Amino acid sequence: MASPTHAPMFSRELGLPGRLAIYGLISLALMLADSRYDALATLRAGVATVLQPVQRGLVWPFGFLGEAGRFFVTHGEVLRENRRLETDRQQLMTRLQGYRNLQAENERLRTLLGLVPPAGTQPMAAEVLRALPDPFARKLLIDRGASHGIEAGRPVVDVDGLLGQVTRVYPASSEVTLLTSREQAAPVQNLRNGLRLIVFGTGADDRLEVRFLDMHADLKAGDMLVTSGLDGVYPAGIPVARVIQIEPPRQTPFARAVCVAAAAIGHYRHLLVLRRTEAAGS
Amino acid sequence: MSQDKPLVPQGPALVAPPPARLVATTLVLGFLCSLLPWPDSVRWLVPDFTLVALLYWNIHAPHIARLGLAFVMGLLVDAAQGTLMGQHALAYVLTAFIALSLRRRLENFEVGGRAIHLAPLFLAEVGLVLLLGLLFNARAIDARYLVSGVSALLVWVPMAYGLDRLIGWSNVMHIEPAEEKK
Repeated sequence: MASPTHAPMFSRELGLPGRLAIYGLISLALMLADSRYDALATLRAGVATVLQPVQRGLVWPFGFLGEAGRFFVTHGEVLRENRRLETDRQQLMTRLQGYRNLQAENERLRTLLGLVPPAGTQPMAAEVLRALPDPFARKLLIDRGASHGIEAGRPVVDVDGLLGQVTRVYPASSEVTLLTSREQAAPVQNLRNGLRLIVFGTGADDRLEVRFLDMHADLKAGDMLVTSGLDGVYPAGIPVARVIQIEPPRQTPFARAVCVAAAAIGHYRHLLVLRRTEAAGS
Repeated sequence: MSQDKPLVPQGPALVAPPPARLVATTLVLGFLCSLLPWPDSVRWLVPDFTLVALLYWNIHAPHIARLGLAFVMGLLVDAAQGTLMGQHALAYVLTAFIALSLRRRLENFEVGGRAIHLAPLFLAEVGLVLLLGLLFNARAIDARYLVSGVSALLVWVPMAYGLDRLIGWSNVMHIEPAEEKK
């Protein structure tokens, strides 16, 4: 008789290939459910809620280490730096005046932006937590979510123009897909003559493009494109891009316009989500 | 069969299976490493630390790092990175399957030998994740992300070297001479 501590001589579980098949099928079913039906939103939201404090905790020591690192410099370095700083100080004092002016101006612009949001919307400031490592689209994770009244599809702007839209909402955070993603598009109007166009992302950092442009269309380098509001997603009048070059048609009957995004994509840590106002929502 | 000539190593020469606590710690550390705020410009270079730890334990602790664990870790990574649920899970399960099938051979190699076996696995895993994304929702992929398969191997080698010493792994058989027992 085998002693009770012995493992059973013949294992009764499924073999490795069998288990692989089961897990593989589950994975494929999950991917299908997630991509076609968006069925796993609650599961995803649950995990995101658990992970968010962890992510915040992981970001924190980097700010702290940056400051602690300065503690461990040698005395000579301190003296040398002190001398250099002394000479720089005069120069900086004059620059500081200009900086203060800019700061005040920035503050004014911010309040201005706060006062005149596009009709039916109400801006909410949000901080970018991190850029998501998605090789397929350009996405940011921001620190405002469903509990702050954010819904999927809401436009996201910065002081200069349109950044993109909220594509996935978690309880306390949400994902923003940038307009520069290859599949993103926004209906726009040429500010100069009202010509209606559609701007697409290119996947590059701040480049947008107008594809399938009529070769006789009245669009010139330097034209400003603002949202037309025709899609019901982006409110009208938000600056989107400035045309920098019109490429004449080559193999296709259409021309193509290369634009640079109006918003400072990838520059600031803060952005604005345009929420529905209470009046428009009810 | 006489007792004085053992065919397999006896007593302290037998390596105990790695403790579950060590396995869990390295897996959690790997997962946290991938959550760190990596700068955007080197994002494509950052290896998949979770998989790096998982592929070590598939070889050395197959009783813990089974297919189910690979699946769960893959789902966690999917949820954390915002990719499709199941995308990393499928890639991890397939990679773990190959590693588990080959583990009897792999566990006798030194770090370098194991790394050479694992190199195509790491690359194939990244390729598979990109391919699955392409199949299911994305229309364009950033092929630079393939480099993370190479950097994963570069992280795996020193980690395996350290963990080998930590769990007392050795591919040298110490068979005690029978005379010493008398």
